[in-house]
Amino acid sequence: MADRMVGALVLLLAMGYALVASSMQVGFLSDPLGPRPFPYIIATLMGLSALWLLLKPDPNPSWPERGFWLPFGLVLASLVAYAYLIVPLGFILTTTLEMTLLSVLFGARWWQGLGGALAFTLVVYFLFTEGLGVTLPAGRIFG
Amino acid sequence: MDIFQALLNGFGVAFQPLNLLLVVLGCLVGTLIGVLPGIGPISGVALLVPLTFALKMPPESALILLAGIYYGAMYGGSTTSILLNIPGETSSVVTAIDGNKLAKQGQAGPALAMAAWGSFIAGTLSVVGLMTLGPLLAQWAIRFGPAEYFALMVFGFSTLSALAGKNMFKALIATGFGLMLATVGQDPQSGISRYTFGFLQLEDGMDFLVVAIGLFAVSEVLMILEEKTPGAMRAQVGRIYLSFKDFMASLLTILRSSVMGFLIGVLPGAGASIASFVAYTTEKRLLGSRARFGEGDLRGVAAPESANNAAAGGAMIPLLTLGLPGSGTTAIMLGALVSLGVTPGPQMFEKNPEVVWGLIASMYVGNAVLLLLNLPLVGLFVRLLAVPAWFLIPAVLAISFIGVYAVNNNPFDLLLMAVFGLLGYLMRKFDFPLAPVLLGLVLGYLMEINLRRAMTISNGDVGYLFSSPIAIVLWVLAGVSLLSPVLIARFRKQGLGQGDGEL
Repeated sequence: MADRMVGALVLLLAMGYALVASSMQVGFLSDPLGPRPFPYIIATLMGLSALWLLLKPDPNPSWPERGFWLPFGLVLASLVAYAYLIVPLGFILTTTLEMTLLSVLFGARWWQGLGGALAFTLVVYFLFTEGLGVTLPAGRIFG
Repeated sequence: MDIFQALLNGFGVAFQPLNLLLVVLGCLVGTLIGVLPGIGPISGVALLVPLTFALKMPPESALILLAGIYYGAMYGGSTTSILLNIPGETSSVVTAIDGNKLAKQGQAGPALAMAAWGSFIAGTLSVVGLMTLGPLLAQWAIRFGPAEYFALMVFGFSTLSALAGKNMFKALIATGFGLMLATVGQDPQSGISRYTFGFLQLEDGMDFLVVAIGLFAVSEVLMILEEKTPGAMRAQVGRIYLSFKDFMASLLTILRSSVMGFLIGVLPGAGASIASFVAYTTEKRLLGSRARFGEGDLRGVAAPESANNAAAGGAMIPLLTLGLPGSGTTAIMLGALVSLGVTPGPQMFEKNPEVVWGLIASMYVGNAVLLLLNLPLVGLFVRLLAVPAWFLIPAVLAISFIGVYAVNNNPFDLLLMAVFGLLGYLMRKFDFPLAPVLLGLVLGYLMEINLRRAMTISNGDVGYLFSSPIAIVLWVLAGVSLLSPVLIARFRKQGLGQGDGEL
């Protein structure tokens, strides 16, 4: 049953994708084929495969216990927060916080996680910025 | 140019101090990735690509490093399979069957040594194969026009979809999704924006590294969170030795599995994992009652370990000669090479001989390095497993953040990475193969541009795509490969493949 839902979603995606392609404005400076046909081919391929999935779904996947979804949601939310906070708070602070949270979710005590996270973050920060010349945000709030 | 002259020049490249250092580093990191569960070769290679950009490495050095990680991981994957019954990589799943039985019988040392020698011989043989077949294929492929290239990619995607994963239609959807991602950004010929939905960050398209790290590394973390892996692991290694008698008894198995693995590696879509399965089952059937496969036979370690290393070498052939990667890992190498200004393909043998031959020579060196490093150092690598998961996994993720951020210095990519992480988790849950997404993304641009060039040449006549004998052969092969899962299933029903159901 779950596969049927996936199939329906993929079918919608393929249709939406083709619809967007059909509304593309092509200038006079284009090759004979233009920017639309390739997306149409892809949409057809996906649409037909999605139909197959609707007709012949695989058995349902085994879902994890209900207790899993809270840590799962926390990880995803923290990844999104990380993307928004890395520039204002800087790499060191955000990464330490993120790593601490993950360590705790993977079974560490908070002080173990914080210690490991801070040490690792400092090492890689200086290794990458000083040693390898990668720019990482220092944090807007610090100056 | 003579092959031996070219190879000699290649060794000149491989023995430059920087490149020599990178071979050793690549092999070490690769072995580490192979040993540690939770990070596979695809994420490993993806995480190191930004480093090659940051250090402004020449393309041959970057490729030497990335390839070292690739075959190093094949090598390291066997260690935990044998000692702990936990395969470090999917390509070492079968190794665990006999390998772990041997370890339980106190034969861990011979099993590890067998894996090392098998990998070394297979790795070296596959480089010989790459060296002899590569230039021939390149000479043939250099005449490919846009129509042939388009057909070649259709063929590549069909075999990939037929072979990757259990359900071909799910693989096709994954391929299509990858191709969709490839169309995001500015259209290569008319210059209009496609599928950017107003996001300026998407004008240049989706970056393959962001997608790769999200899809593979982040989703892997989510899978581990679900499985609740045990904390620290310890294992006894013992002395690593292999008696001459055992070695000779397995030599034929190693040679056969090397050839098989190499040929399977050349096929797009059929990578090291399939090679190791096929080699194990073939040897099992071939040796019959003369071997005790499944109860702890050294040949049950030799077959898959030789095959997966040979496959890693074979996978370089389509990458280097056709510019057509057959697996997720080689797709990342292709992306990295393109970003470094080298277009993989038949011209590469003439335009960038230092890249091709430097890589080939470095693979000889790398295989020797792996053997020398690993026989004495396996114990040390295994001790790394004592690092608790609560430190290791967040640390891998922190490195992923750096890798993703370093691509464009843009936090938007971190957001994309999170989205692809969730998507990768769901795809794994629903049994969608992930590698086709990456291949579609990396090859989509080339596929479309070749189609459009062909249509420009023919002024819109679709028949042009089928007008040359090579193109027709490729189209037929593509059709056959899409039908192959049906045919194989029919053979199985007739009882020809009995007893292999579990594999």
